[in-house]
Amino acid sequence: MTPDIFLFWLLTIVTLGGGLAVILMTNPIYSALALVFTMVGIASFFITLGAYFIAGVQLIVYAGAVMVLFVMVLMLFDLKTEIAAFTRGLFTGALKIFSVGVMGGLIVGAIMMSAGSLDENIAKVNPEIEASMSPDAPTKLLGQALFSRHIFGFEALGVLLLVIAVGTVALSRSRGGTHAKQ
Amino acid sequence: MGKDLFEISVNGIKLILIFLMMVQAVPILVWLERRGSAFIQNRFGPNRVGPLGLVQLLADAVKFLNKEDFAPDKAVKTLFYAAPIFALIPATLAFCAIPMSVPLTIGEYTFRIQGYDMNIGIVFILGVSSLAAYTILMAGWGSGNKFSLLGALRASAQIISYELALGLSIVGIIMLYGTFNLTEMVNAQQGLLQFTALGHTVQTSWLPNWGIFYQPLAAIIFFAATFAESNRLPFDLAEGEAELVAGFHVEYGGFKMLMFFIGEYGHMMLASALMVTFFFGGYLIPYATPETVHSWVHATLIESPVGANILTTLLHFISFNIKFAVFLWIFIQVRWTLPRFRYDQLMDLGWKTMLPWALGNTIATAAVIYFVA
Repeated sequence: MTPDIFLFWLLTIVTLGGGLAVILMTNPIYSALALVFTMVGIASFFITLGAYFIAGVQLIVYAGAVMVLFVMVLMLFDLKTEIAAFTRGLFTGALKIFSVGVMGGLIVGAIMMSAGSLDENIAKVNPEIEASMSPDAPTKLLGQALFSRHIFGFEALGVLLLVIAVGTVALSRSRGGTHAKQ
Repeated sequence: MGKDLFEISVNGIKLILIFLMMVQAVPILVWLERRGSAFIQNRFGPNRVGPLGLVQLLADAVKFLNKEDFAPDKAVKTLFYAAPIFALIPATLAFCAIPMSVPLTIGEYTFRIQGYDMNIGIVFILGVSSLAAYTILMAGWGSGNKFSLLGALRASAQIISYELALGLSIVGIIMLYGTFNLTEMVNAQQGLLQFTALGHTVQTSWLPNWGIFYQPLAAIIFFAATFAESNRLPFDLAEGEAELVAGFHVEYGGFKMLMFFIGEYGHMMLASALMVTFFFGGYLIPYATPETVHSWVHATLIESPVGANILTTLLHFISFNIKFAVFLWIFIQVRWTLPRFRYDQLMDLGWKTMLPWALGNTIATAAVIYFVA
């Protein structure tokens, strides 16, 4: 077993275990903590793939975001109701099965559509991809790609984040937080 | 990690040494803090155990290890015990990325005096050290105590608020040096202050080429924000003895509390090391480049090239540590000089003062780099 394979399996266990814990834990606090493990695991995956910059950004952005989620859970949720709501009931059971179905479909679709894209020869065909594989290039290339070709998506994401911020403020200002009754 | 067994084992030992260096600096810092605070407040401080009271912390550690290991009845045991252990990890990981001296060349091997050299040094350090907030939340929530929880919530709000200003103040530095790599940043600060503006080259005769002369505002914002990140006075709202007893570590005693302490001092050391690296020339000796130091050592002190290499590395390591110690002392001095902020003052400072100034600094730096240089 080479170190790479060992690392891959170790990180896979951590990431998938964290991901499973996020949905299987009844207590939202534990879910949030497990999400941190998943995020750190994904960042480590990026490091093993040589994408250091994205790994760092993954840590800063997502780990920080989960932090906020954690605080939201503590401040806005009524933990006892939340645990009760996610443990029993026909509706939540159906919801869970539905979500598992959607997620499974997504995963199968992603695997089927990405067949061939992991081919090693693709780097030789596409010079841009080949250039982005040198150890010093990624950050600069990433910046150029973000601010030229993907500028619309980049800005749209910015707007989306703004909407989320406004929505959070609106939600937290209504009486009773997420459990407000109209 | 290396091309043969010798290099790999040296690099492995190096990681352990850096961790030990960080942990072993804590007793000295605590001694310095207690003696320093006593000096500032016109008291004696610990001066009974050993010469100048230096062994006091060893005695304290033995005492802490022998204390009863308990968890409160209402605590969530897993989180309660995990929090102090996780408190050590972020600061240690981040500290390993700091370059502490010029690379040491022995024969065909080159050893870096840093845990690992990454092209994205700053991003890595920011990302890893942002994980520190979780340990505080884990401790606060896991203790099952209202005061702990309040302290943890305050700490998380504070860290989220000040991380923005911290990150933005570094952006100016990144644009200035054009790299994320800490070693390259240090190398860019060699020699005397010299820059090209509007076609003229300005050269000073005695100022070193340090980052602080290019980015004074960023230096101030960064240093202030690191105080908030490491939860020290005047930003120790998370502990605020007067209102929260001791905040998130009310329920912790013995060595568990000491581990939080080590984490806090680790963040302090990380902040000082980053200050030195970004703004004060890192391990460089003022008025001398590593090459001139090496040729001087080689010509006057040691004949053998390996000995000269080792001595050059050692001299730069000492230079780094002197600057490092100055900032640690400033941390201690500030803690015993300034009173704690009120909570609304803290938030005002973070969001309404430091964030706009840091943003302004970023834009101004970008404009200057684009139009002037």
